[in-house]
Amino acid sequence: MTTAIELNGLTKTYGDLLAVDAVSAIVLPGKVTALLGPNGAGKTTTLRMLLGLVAPSSGTATFGGRRYVELMDPVRRVGAQLEASGCHPGWTALDYLRILTTASRLPAEAPKRVLEETGLAEAARRRVGEFSLGMRQRLGLAAAMLGDPGVLVLDEPTNGLDPPGVRWLREYVRRLADEGRTVLLSSHALSEVELIADDVLVLARGRLIRSAKLATMRAEAGVGSRVRTPDPTALCAALEAAGLVSRWAEDELIVDAPPEEVGELCAKHGIVLHALAGTAGLEQAFFRLIDESPEEEVALS
Amino acid sequence: MTALVRAELLKLRSARITTWLLLATLVLVTLTVVASTPTVDSESSLTLVDPALLAVVVGSAFGVPQVLIALYGTTAFTQEFRYGTITQTYLGEPRRTRIFMAKWLALALVSVVVTTATLALAVPLAIVMIQYRDGEVSVGAQFWQMIAASFGVMALYAVIGVALGALIRNQIIAVSALLVWMLAVEWIVVPSYPPVGRWLPLGAASAVMQLESSIGLDGKLLPAVLGGLVLAAYAAVATALALRAAPQRDVL
Repeated sequence: MTTAIELNGLTKTYGDLLAVDAVSAIVLPGKVTALLGPNGAGKTTTLRMLLGLVAPSSGTATFGGRRYVELMDPVRRVGAQLEASGCHPGWTALDYLRILTTASRLPAEAPKRVLEETGLAEAARRRVGEFSLGMRQRLGLAAAMLGDPGVLVLDEPTNGLDPPGVRWLREYVRRLADEGRTVLLSSHALSEVELIADDVLVLARGRLIRSAKLATMRAEAGVGSRVRTPDPTALCAALEAAGLVSRWAEDELIVDAPPEEVGELCAKHGIVLHALAGTAGLEQAFFRLIDESPEEEVALS
Repeated sequence: MTALVRAELLKLRSARITTWLLLATLVLVTLTVVASTPTVDSESSLTLVDPALLAVVVGSAFGVPQVLIALYGTTAFTQEFRYGTITQTYLGEPRRTRIFMAKWLALALVSVVVTTATLALAVPLAIVMIQYRDGEVSVGAQFWQMIAASFGVMALYAVIGVALGALIRNQIIAVSALLVWMLAVEWIVVPSYPPVGRWLPLGAASAVMQLESSIGLDGKLLPAVLGGLVLAAYAAVATALALRAAPQRDVL
C-alpha cells in the first residue's frame, strides 16, 4: 500500500523522433499525482514505458524499486487503465473480468466486487459492444481495481464520462489515495485535475518541465482570465497596448490578468465580449509553462 | 501457467464466433465425407473395396478443420491487438513468452477438441456412406495411423497459427494471408507441381495422414514420417520467429 513510482531518466525515441526525453520524477503514496500535457506531449508513452508495454530507449521506471516486469503478481500491486486498451465487443463485462481474474489467479468474487464499486453491477451480463464510452471507462477502471492494488495508473480516465461520472471518478480516486494508495493519472482536463490532484507533473514536447505540488503552482500562477470575443484583433491590440500577456487556447484567449481588469479594458475600447471568466490558477500556470518551454531545445527532427 | 491457459480457453469460449465457426466446420466436414466417398462408377483410384477407404475418406474430412484450427490460432493474437485486450493481457503477465506458451497450450487443447469432434462426426458418417454405396468398411492399421496423425497435424497447425498471429498483428492481413495460402496457393501448387508441393505444409500434412490417393498424388508425396518432420519443422521455425520478434515489440 506504500509503493512509490520512480521515473529515472526515462527516454523513448522512435527513429529520429524523441517522444520522451529523460523524464525523472517520484510519485508518492497517499497522493493523487496528475501527469499533464497537451496532446503529443508524451504522457501515454511515459505511462506505457512505466508499465512495461513500451521498451524505454534509456532510463528506468520502477514501482518500489522494481520494474513492472519484475513484479510478482503485478495485478495485485499495480492497477492500470490505459486509453487504447479495450475489450472484445462480444464479451460481457463479467466475461472480461473473469478472464482477467482467471489469468491472474485472483479471488473468484473479485469481478463482482469491482463491478459494484464502479457502478456496473446491473450491466454485468451485457455485451461490451453495447456499452457507452463512459461505461467502458468504468469497466476499464473495474479491471484496474480487480487485484485491489496499492498503485493505480490511469490514462485520461475522465474521457467519455458524463458530469456525474466525472464526479464519481473524482471521489473514487480521492478515496483510493486517502487509503494510502499511489495514484498517477494523465489528463488534459485541467479543471478536473484541479479538483483531484495533490501533485502535478507537466510534460511538454516529451520533457518534464515542472514537478510541483498543485497548491504551489496555483500560488505561483496568480489569477487570469479567459475571454471570448467576436473581434479578436481589436482585443489582442488592446491587451498588447496595455502590456498584458495573452495566448490562444482553442477559440478563447487566456490573459494573465484578473477578469475585472480585462473587462474594464474591453469596456474602455468598446470591444464586445461573448464570455469573460476567471481562470483557475493551474490553467494559468499550465499555459505559461507550455509557452515558456524551449521548443528549439527539444530534439524533434 | 495453468491459470493463463485457462484464461485463454475462457477467451475462446466467451466469443460466439468460436462456436459458430466450429459448427460451420462440422457442416463442411459432413459435406466433405459425402463428396469424398467414391461411388461404384466413379473414376477415382480409390475403390469401394480398397482396405484404406475408411482412413482416406475420414482423413479427407480434415481439410477444413485444419484451416479452422490455424484460424483459431492466428486470431488468438490478432483479436487481442484488434480490440486492444493485449494491453490487459500483458499487464496481467508481463513476461510475454509465458503468454505465447499459454496460447500455444490452449490452442493445442482446442485442437484436440476439434479433432475429436471431427472424428466423432466423420467416422460414423463415412461408415454409413461407404455401406450405403455398397463398399467395404475396413478398420486396419492405416485407419488407426490416420487417427493418431490427425491429432498431431491439428496440433501443429494450431502452433503455426498462433505464431502467424504473433508475427502479423493486423487481423485482416493475417487472416487473409492464412486463407489465401491454405485454400488457394497450396491447393494449386501441391497437385500441379508435386516436387515442390510435397514440401509445403499441405503436402506434408497429407503425407502424414496418407492421403495421396485422395488428392491424386499416389507415390508423389513424402513418406509419412518425413512429412511429419517437415510439418513439425514449419511449426518450429514459425515459433522461433514469433518468439524472437514479437515479445520485443512495443504495445502502443
